[in-house]
Amino acid sequence: MIDAKRFKDEMKALLDELYETQKDNIEKTAGLIAGCIEKGGVVHVFGSGHSVGLGIDIKDRPGALVPIHIMEMSDFVTKGGVSVEEFMDKKNIFERKPGVASKLYDLYDIKPQDVFIVISNSGINGIVIDIADLAKKNGHKVVIITSMKHTLAEEPRHPSGKKLYEFGDIVIDNCGPHGDALLETEGVAKVCSVSSICNNCIAQSMAARVIEILKEDGFEPPILTGDEKHDAEMKKKYEGRA
Amino acid sequence: MDVKKQYFDLLKDKIEEAYDKQAEKLTQIAALFGEAMNAGGIVQLFGVRHGEEFVNELNYRAGGIALYHALRLKDLVLKEKIDQKDIDSGKIYADISVADRFAEIYDLDDRDVYCLVSFYGNEPLVVELARRAKEKGQKVVAVVNKKSYDAVKGTLLEYCDLWLDMDSRDPDLALDIDGTCVGQLSSTVSNVMAQMLTAEVYKYFIDHKMEAPVLLSANFKGADVHNNSLTDPYGRRIR
Repeated sequence: MIDAKRFKDEMKALLDELYETQKDNIEKTAGLIAGCIEKGGVVHVFGSGHSVGLGIDIKDRPGALVPIHIMEMSDFVTKGGVSVEEFMDKKNIFERKPGVASKLYDLYDIKPQDVFIVISNSGINGIVIDIADLAKKNGHKVVIITSMKHTLAEEPRHPSGKKLYEFGDIVIDNCGPHGDALLETEGVAKVCSVSSICNNCIAQSMAARVIEILKEDGFEPPILTGDEKHDAEMKKKYEGRA
Repeated sequence: MDVKKQYFDLLKDKIEEAYDKQAEKLTQIAALFGEAMNAGGIVQLFGVRHGEEFVNELNYRAGGIALYHALRLKDLVLKEKIDQKDIDSGKIYADISVADRFAEIYDLDDRDVYCLVSFYGNEPLVVELARRAKEKGQKVVAVVNKKSYDAVKGTLLEYCDLWLDMDSRDPDLALDIDGTCVGQLSSTVSNVMAQMLTAEVYKYFIDHKMEAPVLLSANFKGADVHNNSLTDPYGRRIR
């Protein structure tokens, strides 16, 4: 039977699997990001569709790191010259398009020490792959967060024949099932997706470890505290970058 | 202890607590949504700031129920009805005329019900959306952090039929790293509550011998045809 209790129980078991199998990759990512921040770098986060949630969850709240920059899909329209009609076309879904990512990438002030986190559950769509490819070609370290079960089960959509995980210096598997939904039903479809929950958990635990490493290194963590003056100064420091 | 493990353990405890405290309400809200959907309505979603994460968890989600629609400030920016800087500054949440802008760009229907998410439940815009819905006799569900709502004397719940409590600390800081407080739980716990709600709405359909309109991941071979068959009958109301 499908109900709230069953989701809760299966979700908790999945979180155990996520920690046990990915703790080393999250640790490596935290080390990479702490090093980037100590050199004055910024972390550029890009995810299309629901994957954007990871960036939102670790930004703009007390306790959150300031040098996190979300590359917004809507910037394609508001700053990148793409029309609303093209962006919202239901027949020719924008996030699947290869060859357009540079319109977004080129909008931002990206420095050599910056790191990228690119998130996609399926890891097969055009724009996420092109963003990861551009970052790699420009010499940046790239962390990929994806569902290995999903990405390995689907055919690539990108003209290169590659999938997102192939561009990662570090690949974190969010341990979600193929299709993202967790609970088997008696029908064809499964219900209740898990990627946002797993991705948030990866991001929050990683951000906490970044702050711990910065403190161990004697570097003041650039975080928001809720104190208006402190937060304004901190945002000023990264203005135009994050 | 490893700080990453601490976060995972705290989250699991909080999920268990959320279930214990909210399970009954989740079943009631699922019935309210299920009844509206069965009568030709959909659920209109709106979230203030990080409340949008809860909205994203229900709206057009793989393994989710199809009959939701999100009221998004970003859509108003794209259609040049509001300015992005007013979202960034938070000013937009004080502007009740934004409710009119939503009505201009979306196909809203009197059969719809509303699910409104706000940590404090006191922003004029979200209260206005609830007030207008109530005035028309539409059902309203809210998700708030009750402690924070009480502290700021929010008014959203005055217009709501049912509500969920995020039950988060305020400020939402879960971990103490040598005197530095970090790590948020509220959005992730809310996401879990949203998925528990999906499970309960699915159960409502099955218990009432109806086929549940479950979406497939759009990155699943053949999913577009299946998903469009669920949403096309609603035209512009859903997507």
